[in-house]
Amino acid sequence: MMQRLPSAIAVLLLALIFATIAIGHAEQTVLRPLAESYVRLVPHELGAPNVITGILLTYRAFDTLGEVAVLFMVAAGVGLVLKEPGKAGARSASDSEAAQPASEIVRTAAQILVPLIAIFAAYIIMNGHISAGGGFQGGAVIASAVLLMLLADPSHKLNSVFLSVTESLAGVLFVLVGIAGLIFAGGFLDNRVLPLGQFGAFFSAGAIPLLSVLLGVKVGCELSVILDRFRA
Amino acid sequence: MLEMLVVLLCGSIIASAALAVRLDSVLAAAVSGGLATLFAAVCYVLLGAPDVAMTEASIGSGLSTLILLYAIRRTTEAKE
Amino acid sequence: MSEVAGSILVLIGAFFHFSAGLGMLRMPDAFTRMQAGTKASTLGNALILIGIAFYHPGWSLKLLILIYFVFMTNPVSSHALARAARAIRIPMAGPPPQALASAPAAARDGA
Repeated sequence: MMQRLPSAIAVLLLALIFATIAIGHAEQTVLRPLAESYVRLVPHELGAPNVITGILLTYRAFDTLGEVAVLFMVAAGVGLVLKEPGKAGARSASDSEAAQPASEIVRTAAQILVPLIAIFAAYIIMNGHISAGGGFQGGAVIASAVLLMLLADPSHKLNSVFLSVTESLAGVLFVLVGIAGLIFAGGFLDNRVLPLGQFGAFFSAGAIPLLSVLLGVKVGCELSVILDRFRA
Repeated sequence: MLEMLVVLLCGSIIASAALAVRLDSVLAAAVSGGLATLFAAVCYVLLGAPDVAMTEASIGSGLSTLILLYAIRRTTEAKE
Repeated sequence: MSEVAGSILVLIGAFFHFSAGLGMLRMPDAFTRMQAGTKASTLGNALILIGIAFYHPGWSLKLLILIYFVFMTNPVSSHALARAARAIRIPMAGPPPQALASAPAAARDGA
């Protein structure tokens, strides 16, 4: 009982802090000045109906680049720590029971579902600037499609070299589009390098769909490589 | 009405997190952690943030839970 | 009028979901729990989505695709779970107490 006392006190103090925040919380009815200026500026200047994607890929695009760099470091770290299969010591005995394929029902369903999920991921990526979605969400859904493929067929070998090269190329192209924004338009990763187009159309809002696609490809490849490293 | 629903969901998050701490089997605890993430994603939808909800649902209760399950499989294999 | 029909369908779907949860609590065994949870909740999902289609007729095609997706994934995942439970040899529950006490039945349900 006495050795649980410090953790119980810590939980109680945390609950007190959250209770203070929750009781004094009053829902805002008007936006703060910064939020209001974003809500006004993004459809007007950038031509994108989705304010969040507009902020993420233009006004705060440098932070997105930093996030992309962090993801790359995570993938590199996972690749460093987990060795390739076949080099670890006593794993051959359990490999025979770990590599048995899934049953036929799961394999057939995976054959139908993986293209469906991939189309859905492409839809989320391409419609990032119109409705909810964007690069990160689409990349995560692509990675879950790859995960379904890996679960249905455990002996399938992913082409890690191709995925790593694609991911690095997508990152390089992201920075190149940003530098093009520096040369041809207002600043780094400005989206006015491509024409703004009609508000709400599919090809509109300048370079935001292009950046969404590059981001989605990069995140999808990264998460797939991490999953492949963890799998076996 | 909406606030009551959000409070109920937050209670479910706390309950599934407490369940993850108290369960004996590590496998069930990992799944319970994914359940807490799922309730958080529903909260985000109710509070008007569908982008965050999509990211949280696919990464938190999809990929993160599965990576944890892969890690559990690897470590219990190494013990045998 | 169509809204009343939609509401009734949503209520029936919610009742099926409730019975799925009740079944998962009350069933004696992992396999019967999986069976109760999957069948009733899949049908509940389908009924709720059809009920919503009565409210918004413009969404009918999208809701139909959603129902197709739920019918594809829910039973397949439950099948994979049951197969995994069989592979790690989770014990099945025996017969109810007032079963027939004949010898072949008693010898069959030990595994």
